[in-house]
Order: sequence, then structure tokens, then C-alpha cells
Amino acid sequence: MARVGVFVCHCGLNIAGVVDVKKVAEELIKEKDVVFSTTYAYMCSDPGQNLIREKIKEHRLDSVVIAACSPSMHEETFRNATRDLINPYRLEIANIREQDSWVHESKDATEKAIKITKATVEKVKSNEELEPIKIDVERKALVIGGGVAGIQAALDIADAGYEVILVEKEPSIGGRMAQLSETFPTLDCSQCILTPKMVSVARHPNIKLLTYAEVVGIDGFVGNFNVRIKKKPRYVDIDKCTACGDCEDVCTVIVPNEFEFGRKPRKAIYIPFPQAVPAAYVIDEQSCLGIAPLRCGECAKACEADAINYDMQPEYIEEKVGAIVVATGYDLYDKNNLVEYGYGEDADIITSLEFERMLSAGGPTQGKVIKPSNGKEAKKIVFIQCAGSRDKQHKPYCSSICCMYTAKHALLFKHHVEDGEAYIFYIDIRATGKNYEEFIARVMEEERINYIRGKPAKIYRQGDKIVVEGVDTLLGKSVKIEADLVVLAMAIVPRNEAKDVARLLKVAIDEHGFFKEAHPKLRPVEAVTRGIFFAGCSQAPKDIPASVAQASAAASKVIAMFSHEKLEKEPIVAMFGDACTGCRTCFYICPFNAIALDSKGKAYGIEALCEGCGVCVAACPVGNIKLPNYEDEQIKKMVEVILE
Amino acid sequence: MTYWVEEEEKKVHGKVYIIKDRCKQCGFCIEFCPQGVLQQSEEFNAKGYHPPKLVETDEKKCVGCGFCQMICPDFAIFVEKEEENEERD
Repeated sequence: MARVGVFVCHCGLNIAGVVDVKKVAEELIKEKDVVFSTTYAYMCSDPGQNLIREKIKEHRLDSVVIAACSPSMHEETFRNATRDLINPYRLEIANIREQDSWVHESKDATEKAIKITKATVEKVKSNEELEPIKIDVERKALVIGGGVAGIQAALDIADAGYEVILVEKEPSIGGRMAQLSETFPTLDCSQCILTPKMVSVARHPNIKLLTYAEVVGIDGFVGNFNVRIKKKPRYVDIDKCTACGDCEDVCTVIVPNEFEFGRKPRKAIYIPFPQAVPAAYVIDEQSCLGIAPLRCGECAKACEADAINYDMQPEYIEEKVGAIVVATGYDLYDKNNLVEYGYGEDADIITSLEFERMLSAGGPTQGKVIKPSNGKEAKKIVFIQCAGSRDKQHKPYCSSICCMYTAKHALLFKHHVEDGEAYIFYIDIRATGKNYEEFIARVMEEERINYIRGKPAKIYRQGDKIVVEGVDTLLGKSVKIEADLVVLAMAIVPRNEAKDVARLLKVAIDEHGFFKEAHPKLRPVEAVTRGIFFAGCSQAPKDIPASVAQASAAASKVIAMFSHEKLEKEPIVAMFGDACTGCRTCFYICPFNAIALDSKGKAYGIEALCEGCGVCVAACPVGNIKLPNYEDEQIKKMVEVILE
Repeated sequence: MTYWVEEEEKKVHGKVYIIKDRCKQCGFCIEFCPQGVLQQSEEFNAKGYHPPKLVETDEKKCVGCGFCQMICPDFAIFVEKEEENEERD
């Protein structure tokens, strides 16, 4: 005979404002096997948890039903609070908030709450006592993306003593931060503060750096992911290459350099930028005259270190890892979508990242601010903020960093061109970080940058100049500026590849393509899938300090996971009987690949992979599969109670 | 695509010389030129074959890799490298 206790939570007025909680408790005590029932204002509070513990002892309860909010909120809280008194699986939550009080009117709600709670009592009475499944953890992490977030996460995990595999798609790590000139608000040289970190990655004994590589397959589960990485052929041996540049001199093919957004040419054999890590050349398969050595072979002839190998093939690496940090970074919004600002049609209208390269000492112009159409110094620049952001026709969200970097751009421009004039069109100035507001004030006042509140209405070319027409909404006057150069602060969007990574990892992305965190406030670096974490702009637009902070947060989550001897997993997994006919229905239907076939063709479950969804239980034509605590008999009884 | 570079990038060009009468129209040079510089001409040589000729659209297309020279079975084609300053566009 079970001894069930029922605890009804008020949840302030969330439940008690709609449901007559007293009546629920009174009705439930009349049920068979229910020996105690009560209500309390906040069951999840410490006194509430203590109340449950005391009553379990006092009434020798062996089962508990808590009528409260969704089990996704507090099931764990209550099970942990009573773990030493009753088996966690003898405690069940009846959801009378999300499924009742929040969606129904008073009279019906009370009736429904009683039914939900009664059905749960019926279930808990026949619940088995279960123990969590223990699973092993592979103490090795995979970091996808070698930008500042990926670098930081890899370094933090590696410093804690665990192995890390850092996979970067490009020939060098560094990401977007390596392309920036200076960083706001302190105006540190971006590469100068990033390159020491890049070098530490390359030198760290615990980090295995795989550049020019992509993750092509992931399966498994928390603690035991199997990862397949494709290393694209670089045709240059990283260990032998001394980055002397002899090969580059003799190469006859000239194509635009992607790192410089095509504003500077490069050869078919190239190094993306001088501080690249690894410091080795790479042959661009697409533009090289022929990987077959007979065709050209000039670079191999010139290479004294004998580092060039045209016979390199794509290499596939299989690795087993316990946790994955995703830091795939960002891209700028597609320029073809912003035709109203004339980008892509006029050489004197450029994006913010192109302007970063223009300001960079290592960039195409060696830091000179030019007017691309004639190569002369630009004297008058118009910066346009929110180009594609905060715009329902494009991206409705705020890209978060444009206010700050545009102010930085204007300031650097004034430092480069003393007699230059800068105008900034803005909607609002959002400078919420530490020392950010002060930086904006300095730019406005000391540097005398003209801030114009409004969005440009029209941009067109007139002779040598680009004319920007708009309205200054603070003065209520229309303005017309004849500029040499227009810089668009383009919206930040996730990398295209993020979609593929999401598909491989089976994690959710939001409507804009950013990775979706498990909880927007309380679990901002975790995916819903255990063992997967996010860092940097792949989750949302953010600046460098925030990316670094999130990377360290993700790393600390990984380290915390690795510090456990074994991981625990819900024991609610499909159990197979002896009656399997080998029809394979379950085998094909399982969304987690958790069912395998033995030598006789009979199905069996892989506990560690099973998520307990119950699809196979419903599909099995002979009823051979069971889910503990969700047995047919239990569910039938619950339905009966509800239909009474 | 406009480059922003200040100094003019030196681009290597090749000049292709064809000894028409040696050609026996095997087509290797046309087939294997990585830049697609060559095509078959209409004219006949002394042996009665069509020797190759340059594709007229872009004379600077040849980068002087010398592959045609290497592959020609009849030593009928050779390349000389020439460097020049390309004008900034």
C-alpha cells in the first residue's frame, strides 16, 4: 500500500489567484492511498522544501506529488531536497500552472487542477524506484571556431589541464578580431592584444590546433561525442614552412585577398596576414594553375624548405570528445540586400569591416584613409549606423556594437586626417558597457564629430562626391552632405556555416540564425542538449569583452563537467523484452539512433543514447518495449481518473 | 573588384611563340593551358594541320607558366616571360 502525500503550491498568485488551492488539497485527501495533503505559498522556497521533508518523516510517506509549476522548473529541486528520504522517482510534479492556471478561468481551472493532481497520484503509486544511469566522460573538449571566443575557451580549458581540439575553417586562427584596427574604448591595437593569445594557442601542449579544417560529422551524447573532422589539403607542410615568402614571389596567379575583403591582391599561394597562426603558407586550390606539379610548379621549385607537397589529400580525423564549445562567430549582413544605400554599386560606399582594414597599418592602404574611386585622401566621411539593423525590412534586432565602433571609426579618422570632417547618422546611441558612454562623450565633444539623429533618405553620386540626404530630427531640418566616402555600419548576422553546425549538433537556432541558449537569463552559454556550449557572436551580437567573458563561462562549464568522475543520466530509457520479432520498426523510428540490432536481428536499446521519448514504445507492434514509470497500465489509470 | 593598394602590383605575363609549321594539331596545348589562352585556328600549316592561336580577348591572360612548352610533343610552342607594370584601374 502506497502512502502518498500531496503538496499544492500557491506560487504567489500565479496558481492561487486562479485555482482554489485549498479545495484541491481537500479533494485530494479523499483519494485512496493519499494520507496527507496541504498547501503552501512557495513550495520551492527553503521553508517549503523543509515542509515536504518533515511531512515525509511525520507521515512515513513513500510517494510525493507536488502540484506546482512545470517539472522543467523545479522537479530537480524537489527530488534533490528529498533524495535521502525517498527515491527521486517516487516524487512527481503535477503541472497546474503552465497547463492550468495560466491558461484557464477560475472555476474550470480548479476542476482541472484536481484532475491533473489525481492522475499524477495514480501514476506515482505504481512508479518504480530507479537509480540514475552512470556514464563515462571523455575528458577532452572540441572548440569549433578560432576567433577570440574560441581561442579564449580553448586556452581556459587547456589551462585547467584538459585536452582541447580547436578547429578553424580558415588557414589561420584570429577570426574577426584579427581584422580590426583598434578596439574601443581603449584604442588598443587589436592584433597586438590578440596575437599573444594566438601564439599561446599554437604553443599550448594541451591544445591540438586544426586549421583549414571543418567538422563534418558529430554523433554520440554528452561525455561521449564522436567527431569527424575534415582537414582540407593545404599543400604546404606547416612544420616545414618557414613563411619566407619565396613561393609567393614566383607565383603567377593574382586574386583578391579575402582577409582584406578583396581590397588587396594576393597570390594563389599565400599567407592570410603576417601574424597568422600557424605561420605557414597555403595554396588556394581554386586559383592555383594546377595542383598537378607539371602544370606550373614554380612555388615548389622556389621553396628551399621543401614544404610544398602537391599530393596532399583531404584528411579525415576521428576524435572522441566529452564536450563541445561552439564559437562560429559572425558575418556582416549581405550587401546585396542594402541597395537603398548603394553599397556594392559605388566604390566610395564601403562597409564597417572594410573601413577597419583601411585604418589598419597592415591593410591595403597602410592606414591611409582614401577615397577608393580616385585613391586620394578622403576629407569628408559620412558614417551610417544601423545599416540593416533595427529595421523591420532587414534585421529587427540591434547589432549591439555599431554605435561604439562607429564612434571609434570617426575618432581614428580624425586622427588620420587632421582637417577631416565626419558625420554620423544614428537612431540612438547605445553605449552601455564600462567606460563606453565616456568614450562617446569624448568623441562628440573633443573630436567634434557631427552626430545627426536620423536615417539618410537618399544616397547618390554627383560627380566626384557621394551625396547623402537626410533629416536631422533634432533640429527638424533636412541635411545634405557631399561626402568623399560613406561607411555603412552593417548589421551583424551569424556565419552561414552556423546552420550546418547546428544541424550536425542537433541544437536549435533562433529566427535570425543565432544559436539558442537553454535559458536566456540563467543558462546563457548552454545549449538545451547537454555537453554543448556557446561563446561569442554565434549566440548573439556582442563586443570583445562580452565574447571573452562568455568563452570563459563556457570553458568553466566544460571544466566543471570534466571534474566529475561519472556523469549521471535519467534512468527513464526504453527497456526491451524478449518478444522482439525483428521487424525493425523501432530501429528506423528512433530519433536518437539509440536502438541497435543484435546478430539475430533483434532490437536492443543503447541506454546512454536513449532520451526516453517513448516513440519506440508506441511504435512496437508486439508491445515489447517499455518505458519505466510510463507503463501502459499507469497511463490507462491516469486517463481513467481524468475521465471520471 | 577594385584594389585599394598604393603601389602597383607587378603582374607576370608570358608571351607565347608558336612555330606553326612544326604543329601536328594534337591539341595538347589547348587542352591543358590552365588559363585557357589558346584555341585552334582556321589556317593551315605546311603539313596541312590547324596550328593553335591566341584567344584574342585578353593578351595578358597568359601568366607564362610554360606548361604548353613542356607538353608539346613537337617543340612547336615556347613561352617567354615578361614583367610589366599593370595600370591601376
